[in-house]
Amino acid sequence: MVLSQRQREELNRAIADYLSSNGYISALGEFQKEASMQGEIDKKYAGLLEKKWTSVIRLQKKVMDLEAKLSEAEKEFNSGGPTRDRRSPSEWIPRPPEKYTLSGHRSPVTRVIFHPKFSIMVSSSEDATIKLWDYETGDYERTLKGHTDSVQDIAFDQAGKSLVSCSADMSIRLWDFTGSYECLKTMHGHDHNVSSVTFMPSGDNIISCSRDKTIKMWEVSTGYCVKTYTGHREWVRMARVYHDGSLIASCSNDQTVRVWVTATKECKAELREHEHVVECIAWAPESAHPAINEANGVDVKKTGRSGPYLASGSRDKTIKIWDISTGLCLFTLVGHDNWVRGILFHIGGKYMLSASDDKSLRIWDIKNKRNQKTLDAHQHFVTSLDMHRSAPYVITGSVDQTVKVWECR
Amino acid sequence: MAEMKNCADNPEPVEDIHGDGRWMSQHLRFIAEGKEREPDVLFIGDSIIQQMRFSKVWKMLLEPLHCLNFGIGGDQTQNVLWRVSNQELDNVSPDVIVLMVGTNNHGHNAEQIVDGIMAIAEVVRTKQPKAQLIIMGILPRGQNPNPLRIKNSKVNSLLEAKLRCRENATFFAVDDEVFVGSDGSISASDMYDYLHLTPEGYTKLCEPLLGVVEDLLQIFVKVENVSLDTDSMAGELASDTQ
Repeated sequence: MVLSQRQREELNRAIADYLSSNGYISALGEFQKEASMQGEIDKKYAGLLEKKWTSVIRLQKKVMDLEAKLSEAEKEFNSGGPTRDRRSPSEWIPRPPEKYTLSGHRSPVTRVIFHPKFSIMVSSSEDATIKLWDYETGDYERTLKGHTDSVQDIAFDQAGKSLVSCSADMSIRLWDFTGSYECLKTMHGHDHNVSSVTFMPSGDNIISCSRDKTIKMWEVSTGYCVKTYTGHREWVRMARVYHDGSLIASCSNDQTVRVWVTATKECKAELREHEHVVECIAWAPESAHPAINEANGVDVKKTGRSGPYLASGSRDKTIKIWDISTGLCLFTLVGHDNWVRGILFHIGGKYMLSASDDKSLRIWDIKNKRNQKTLDAHQHFVTSLDMHRSAPYVITGSVDQTVKVWECR
Repeated sequence: MAEMKNCADNPEPVEDIHGDGRWMSQHLRFIAEGKEREPDVLFIGDSIIQQMRFSKVWKMLLEPLHCLNFGIGGDQTQNVLWRVSNQELDNVSPDVIVLMVGTNNHGHNAEQIVDGIMAIAEVVRTKQPKAQLIIMGILPRGQNPNPLRIKNSKVNSLLEAKLRCRENATFFAVDDEVFVGSDGSISASDMYDYLHLTPEGYTKLCEPLLGVVEDLLQIFVKVENVSLDTDSMAGELASDTQ
C-alpha cells in the first residue's frame, strides 16, 4: 500500500508518539533520527496510533452488523409481505428492522403507549420519569418528573387531554396534555406499589390496581377514591375496562384473572388456568370476535351470542383467550420461551401481538391459533408494546432501556 | 489465643475507607432492585459473582431466568452475612439463591470461613425458607500451587460434608481440574489475574451451574450457543492483512 507524503508524515509522528508514551526511548531516538524528524511531538498525535488500531476492529464490527441488518431487510423486502402502498390497515403488521431506537431512560422501560391524536408516544420507566417522543421523527420531546420511584403504568383518556400514571411510590398522578404538561393531581390511597392504571371510557374515573391486592376507582374531578374491589389474594398486576365500561378485568400474582361488575364491585368471574403470575390482559375488540369464534369452532348463528372475550398473558409463557360469558378458556397460544409481558389485539381483529422476556415481539394469527411472525425486538426483556389505532406503527419498550418504533406493512 | 476470635460469622458492613460510600450504595441498590424486579434466581457473593454479569454466559443463559446479581467486590463472609441480614432478602421471593464467598477472608482459616458461610446459609434459611440455596465452592487461585489453594479446597471439602444431608441447600463446585492444568498452573485465559474469571472462565463455571439451577427450578431454558466466539476479530483481521 502506498501512502501519500502527508499520510507518511502523520504515521511517523503517530509512531513516535506511541514509542515515547510507552517509554521506548532508545527506539524513539533511533526512529526520529532515521525518519529525520525534529523537535517535540505534537500533542494532536497523542494516542493516534492506538485509536487507528482499534477503530479498524470497531468499524469491521459495525460493517458486519450492518451487513446482517441489510440481509434481514433484503429478506423482508423479497418475501416479507406487501409493499408500502399496498398495505391495508386491517392487515398490516410490524416489520423488521425497527424504524427508530430511542434511548434516554436510565432504567428499564416499563410501559409504552401512543397518544390517541398527536404523533406522540409516551414511555414510563423505573428511573421514575415519563418521557414523550415523536414517533414519526424519532425526536425526544420532553420529560415529566414528579414520581419518586419506578413508574409502572401510564394511560390516556379517549381524547388524549390527560395522562394518568402510577408508581411504586404508591401514588397516582394526573398530567395535563392540553399544553402545560403539568401534574394536575396526585392521588394517594393504595398501601403499596401501584402496578397499573387506566381511564374509564367516560373519562370521569380512573381504575388502578396495586400490590396491596386491591383495585380502586378514583373520581378525576375530586381525586377521591370512590370504590375498592377486593378479592385477589396477591399483587394485582393489571386492570383493564371493557369498552362499554360495565366490566373490569384484572390479573394477579395469585395466578387468576378476575372480572368485576364495575357498578356493584361484585366479582363476576374468576378464571384459573394459568400456572404462574398473570402479567397482562386485553379485551378483544368486536372486530376480533369472528376470528376467535372461528378458532374455537363456534357457530355464532347457532348460539346467538359472542363474547365478551378477554386475552391474558402469563409468566407460564402462554397467552389464553377466555369467554367471559361462560368463564371458560377457549384456547391457548404457545410459543414464547419466557414470561409474556404485554399483549394487544390488532385493530383489524385478525391478529394478536405480544411482547415477552424472550426478547421477542410476536404476531399471532388468531383464527389458526398460530405464531405467524417473530421479531427479535430487543437485547433484553421486552416489557411492553402498543399499536397505533390508525397509523402504521407499533412501539416496544424494554429492560435494555430503549424504546423502539416499528413500521407496519 | 484471644486474637483468633472468629469474626467470619459475625455480621459486619464493610468500612468505607475510601470515603465514597460505594459499598453501601450497592447494598441499597440491591434492596431496591429486589423490590422492583421479582427475581427468581439471586446471586450473592464477592467479585467473582459481581463480575459474572459482564460475561456472555450471564447474558445468554442466566439473565433469561430472571436473575439478580448481588455481588460486591472484596466482600468477605461477614460482609455478605451483614447484607443478607439487613434487607437484601426481605422483599424478594426467589426460587433459587446462589452463594459464592470466602476467597477474600484472608484473616480466617478454613474452619472459620466455613462457619461464616454456614451462618449465611442459616440466615437464608430463616428469611427465605422456600428458596433452594446453592453454595458454590471457592475457586482455586494463584497461577501456581500455593497455601490459599489448599485453604480454599479445604473449605470446599468441609462444606460438601456439612451440606451432604441438608435439605434446601446444595453444594456445587466444578472440579479443580477445570481451571488447574496438569502442571498445576492456572491459565490467564480462564483467570486473567489468577483470581478473577475471564468470559471463557465464566462459561466453564456457569454452564454446569446452570444445570443445577435448572434442576432446582425444574424448568428448561432454550439454550443459545455461547461458545460462538465473537471476540476473535482482532486475530482474524491480523491474519487478513498478512
